[in-house]
Amino acid sequence: MLTIDNLCASVEDKSILNGLSLEVNAGEVHAVMGPNGSGKSTLANVLAGRDQYEVTSGTVTYKDQNLLELEPEIRAREGLFLAFQYPVEIPGVSNVHMLKAALNAMRTHQGKKELDAVSFLKLIKEKAELVGMKQEFLYRAVNEGFSGGEKKRNEVLQMSLFEPTLSVLDETDSGLDIDALKIVAHGMNSLRSPDRAMLVVTHYQRLLDYIEPDFVHVLAHGKIIHSGGKELAEELEEHGYGWIEEHACTV
Amino acid sequence: MDGSKSTPVQSDLHDNPQVQPYLDLHDRISGSLSGENLEWHSLWRHGCLQRFADQGFPTARDENWRYTPLRPVLSKQFTPTRELNAVPKITTKPIDGIGHSLVFVDGVFLKPDSADKIAPGIRVESISDVLNNQPDYLRSYLGKSSEDTAHAFSLLNNALYSDGVLIEIRSDVKSDVPLELLFITQTEAALILPRIVVISRAGSSARIIERHVGNPDCHSLTSGVGEMYIEKGAYLNYHLIESASDSAYQVLGNWAYLDADSKLDFHTTTIGGALVRNDLVIDLKEPGAECNLMGAYCLSGRQHVDNFTTVIHSAPHCNSNEHYKGVLDQRSRAVFHGRVRVAPDAQQSDAQQANNTLLLSADAEIDTKPQLEIYADDVKCSHGATVGNLNEQAMFYLKARGIDRDTARSMLIRAFVDEILDKTEVDPIQQHLKSLVDEKMLTFRKFHRSGVSS
Ligand SMILES: Nc1ncnc2c1ncn2[C@@H]1O[C@H](COP(=O)(O)OP(=O)(O)O)[C@@H](O)[C@H]1O
Ligand SMILES: [Mg+2]
Repeated sequence: MLTIDNLCASVEDKSILNGLSLEVNAGEVHAVMGPNGSGKSTLANVLAGRDQYEVTSGTVTYKDQNLLELEPEIRAREGLFLAFQYPVEIPGVSNVHMLKAALNAMRTHQGKKELDAVSFLKLIKEKAELVGMKQEFLYRAVNEGFSGGEKKRNEVLQMSLFEPTLSVLDETDSGLDIDALKIVAHGMNSLRSPDRAMLVVTHYQRLLDYIEPDFVHVLAHGKIIHSGGKELAEELEEHGYGWIEEHACTV
Repeated sequence: MDGSKSTPVQSDLHDNPQVQPYLDLHDRISGSLSGENLEWHSLWRHGCLQRFADQGFPTARDENWRYTPLRPVLSKQFTPTRELNAVPKITTKPIDGIGHSLVFVDGVFLKPDSADKIAPGIRVESISDVLNNQPDYLRSYLGKSSEDTAHAFSLLNNALYSDGVLIEIRSDVKSDVPLELLFITQTEAALILPRIVVISRAGSSARIIERHVGNPDCHSLTSGVGEMYIEKGAYLNYHLIESASDSAYQVLGNWAYLDADSKLDFHTTTIGGALVRNDLVIDLKEPGAECNLMGAYCLSGRQHVDNFTTVIHSAPHCNSNEHYKGVLDQRSRAVFHGRVRVAPDAQQSDAQQANNTLLLSADAEIDTKPQLEIYADDVKCSHGATVGNLNEQAMFYLKARGIDRDTARSMLIRAFVDEILDKTEVDPIQQHLKSLVDEKMLTFRKFHRSGVSS
């Protein structure tokens, strides 16, 4: 589904990703862990198409297409979803208005009929319930005045609404208390299926207790220095990233 | 005022080519103007003509016109239409839910033949009829604005307006249904001099829309004067909707005088016009008066819009709140001048002012100038101005949700302007304004597709 080959990217002429390679197949959940500043969000943003991040070399293939050539909105309509580490507040644009425009843009692209207001409301209310979001949040401006946890919930709400093929979740667990974490993990798990995949960026073993990854990767200095199964996350939790960096060098 | 109509007016400004044509025009048409047989009225007119001749049109040296060059207006000749029963040649989409529209074609008031449709208690009458039938009725209302602030354009209106309309809202009127004044401009080079007097009698409540529309190819000059008297405890909601064509020149002056505990909500929405200058002068004359001035403007091409507002706190315990927001694309330019004067004994005044601008192009420009003159000490005054571009993070967020660039832009622009438009309490007006903004945004996009950026 997704093949990243030797990807290098920079921001403001500062090189951040330095030859990153990763293969994600349908049905798989990959966890990406790594110290602060190692380039996890950069990877997520490059995948979503943010233009501040300049890809200097390497390729990314998504569903047999050159992902890097697609506009961000086309990537989204093709089923790639980024849950932002820091969801943006958009004053004056109501959440429900944005969600409806987004869903219908995707449906149109996918050759489906647009949802009318009534069916959309019914659907969005179900989804809100699934992620434990109060309905009033639907009518507020996008993320405006939401707490950290509410913003993350709003990201997962969108994920369950759009039912993306590939979800890239950038520290969606940060800032969540344990109850919220369970609900959010439940929302994510309900989307696990043989034809979907997830790339879960996280700092903590915690989330992975609920969403069992098939693979765990350690990202440092802009490349993946070590990969393993879910037990790798436990080792990291115990020994920290320093251990793996040393370990990686000596292997 | 030392003139009378028999003394010819001469311009002190030697051979002033800008002023002289209007003096000649006065000589040709003065006999047919309203109120010419009334001494007080013709003395006043004549005095204004003299002042106009003496001071001429503002120049770049005039501090109040610094950012608004008048060259394009003054290099053309405009003449009033003589047609008294003109038929509107362009069709105008009505605003739903409007009680009644009073139509002015090229500034000439088409007297309503079915006055019964106007809400009971609201008197609508042409100024010339009032002057004929009740010679002194308007004496303390008509032309009061010329006593204090007046510039060449309003003086020109005073001197040359042919007719206008009186709207008097009686005390027992509590009407939510807006009365519309629809100004249709359809003749090339027309000089249009709208004249409106509104009297909101004590305790009344009413809504008025003044809407300007026009033939796209008309290079007309509209110089309007509105005078509003809002008596004790009355409420007036006034919507100025400027959706004239992009070749129209429009200078509109509105003066409002507020008595005790009265309230004025004045909304200015500017979409059309090549050059637009709105002078809005509010005098909070007595304690407890309140005004809310809300402005929204969306400009493209080379449009130029200057909102020059003056709020005078003459009495204690008055509130004024002013918020103007503009979206500027391409090479458009806007000016916001917010003058607030708090008189020495106007204690406990509360005056707030804000101007926010969204620049969509590096070539667009806003000049914003607060001018606070505060002579009392127990007052709350604030002013703030911001200028920004479209929020790139928000743009990316929306695009990452599958929303295309144009739609994302429109959503953010509308969100910006809607903060003002949402303050419109009447749904159909709000819908109308939003659809004007939406239509306007199409012109933003077209330009961007064909050039500036991808
Ligand atoms: N927009 C940006 N401008 C400048 N530097 C950036 C920008 N985004 C990220 N960086 C830098 O790139 C590096 C990697 O950042 P990031 O991908 O956010 O790391 P992570 O998500 O792993 O904590 C950091 O050193 C960060 O400061
Ligand atoms: Mg990060």
